[in-house]
Amino acid sequence: MINLLNTFLNGITSGAIYSLMAISMVLVWRSTRVVNFAQAGMALLSCYFGYEAVQRTGSFWIGLVVAMIAGALVAAVIEFGFMRILLKHSSQGPIASVAPIIATLGLLGLIKGVIGLVWGNADVVIEPPFSVVGFKIGENTLTFSPLKLLTLVTVTVLLLIMTWLFQRTNLGLALRASAHEPEISRLAGVKVDLVRTLGWALAGAAGAAAGMLQAITGSGGMNPDSIEFRLLLVFGFIAAVIGGLDSMIGALVGGMILGLVLAFTLTYASGSLVFITAFVLLLVLLIVRPQGVIGQKAGRRA
Amino acid sequence: MHKLKIGPANSFFGFIAAGLIIFIVSSKFDDLLVYQGASVMMFVIAISSIILLTGYSGQISLGHGAFLGVGGYAAALARNNLNLPIIVCVIIGVLAAAIAGALIGLSAARLSGPYLAGSTLALAVGLPSIVNQFDSLGGEQGLFFDVGAPPAFLGEGFSPYRWFFYAATMAMLISVWGIRNLLNSRYGRTWRAVRGNDVAAQLSGINIARSRILAFTVSAGIAGLAGVILAMTLGTVSPGAYPLVLSFSLATGAVLSGVNTLGGVIIGAVTLVAIPEIADSISHRFGGSEVMTTNLPGILVSTLLILTVLFVPNGPVEQMRLTRNKKRAHAQR
Repeated sequence: MINLLNTFLNGITSGAIYSLMAISMVLVWRSTRVVNFAQAGMALLSCYFGYEAVQRTGSFWIGLVVAMIAGALVAAVIEFGFMRILLKHSSQGPIASVAPIIATLGLLGLIKGVIGLVWGNADVVIEPPFSVVGFKIGENTLTFSPLKLLTLVTVTVLLLIMTWLFQRTNLGLALRASAHEPEISRLAGVKVDLVRTLGWALAGAAGAAAGMLQAITGSGGMNPDSIEFRLLLVFGFIAAVIGGLDSMIGALVGGMILGLVLAFTLTYASGSLVFITAFVLLLVLLIVRPQGVIGQKAGRRA
Repeated sequence: MHKLKIGPANSFFGFIAAGLIIFIVSSKFDDLLVYQGASVMMFVIAISSIILLTGYSGQISLGHGAFLGVGGYAAALARNNLNLPIIVCVIIGVLAAAIAGALIGLSAARLSGPYLAGSTLALAVGLPSIVNQFDSLGGEQGLFFDVGAPPAFLGEGFSPYRWFFYAATMAMLISVWGIRNLLNSRYGRTWRAVRGNDVAAQLSGINIARSRILAFTVSAGIAGLAGVILAMTLGTVSPGAYPLVLSFSLATGAVLSGVNTLGGVIIGAVTLVAIPEIADSISHRFGGSEVMTTNLPGILVSTLLILTVLFVPNGPVEQMRLTRNKKRAHAQR
């Protein structure tokens, strides 16, 4: 029983982080129709900025804010200085459909290399701001710790802010409009290009937050070759696709589903099966419900 | 657009001639160069498989390293457990990878662009961890893959590296020749039709799903061959030999070569083998630290990839052809 509860709580904690990562993928997809495989790399890079801030100030919260700002700036610069040119440039020939994917792949490699060059390839440890000792229920100690509770709360707060931003502000309206009807939005006076850059910036901030939380809840370390990084890279994408790649709610649901499935695999099957389970889950979902658990549009053959 | 048509017979002799030239030139090489030559051949095969898949069938794979791994492991298992002759092991490796490719292809046929890219990426990350599930796969250490001594007719004390190189060159010539003919055949035309306009292809009676699955299967099989050759040169198979970086390198190599020009494949292969060497000499010159040595190759490859996508998105060979055509059109006017 306690085992089940532990598994469930672990599932939603890691699920929350995957959701945040998935949301950053969704934001990029909605603003530019690019699946950004460099998102995890950008998140990792922001984490290193966050790490520097934590080292200097000793406060995780300042680190988180610095990481999110850095993430937003990095993403905006990449969108403005690179993706925009690329999407206009290579829209012809057999490469057109794969060029954005390949380009983000190149970015990923470049970011990893630069991180390695600047910070080295050893683990970088960010001290968790809260205790990692689990809560007690009677005799039993849960694996669910104040730190994990904090993770859930942080993700929830960020989600609330983002929902408010999207539903209640003019910026959110512009973001939604240019995602669905770029031409008409342009006619209505929305600066679509600027809004796209902003979409990337938001995504960068969300990814940075996911990275910081992953760094403190995981094994405690981050490096360009670490398993934490690969978790963000692969599971962010899978969670986004489970949710339909187009919907923020979908990304949230997708992250939770993925987190729970993987937590149960980890507890009741084997740790080495986690990645392959995620892969099978992804394939089954793409075949059974290609529009995602939330999405309504038919097919994604585009 | 006029293109010089070379018949299958001519191209067959062309490939024999290429083989002879490689044979003669390589006789001057030392062991290290021959070893790198074998890597180049391995990359040529692997990149061709991606070119077939992406440039002709219009599907993308970021996880082809997984198929190399399947090929390598299947060949090693056959060699170690059944003690079969090496050529049979190679065939088993190719078949195993092709079957894996067919299984993935079944679902890949329904996906496009980013979805397929992400799924194959997840495959490449997920598959290596399976080795810890089965004792027979040898865990993280992997398995030995001993191809045996060079055949007796090459003489006593013949360098095994040179033997690897000959075997890899042979495999390269046969597979590239095969791919070339396949791409010029009915199947190649079908794939290009589906890539160009799937609705039109369907209307002219092409079964799109079948054509995509076939392309994925063939591509995975060829990748399996590359995997066996990689295993041969390393002497072992292990998850570490087929990392995610390998999959990314293959995609990079295909873009550098130009995704729809099989002729450019050597560019990508040589670049992938040369970059670590170049990076090494650069970091030596600047008295580089260990950090620089480990990260410079990745930075160089990625930068090259980004520049290629930005400036010659369809590859150098295709770009040259375009410029030439433009000039010719200009001259005629």
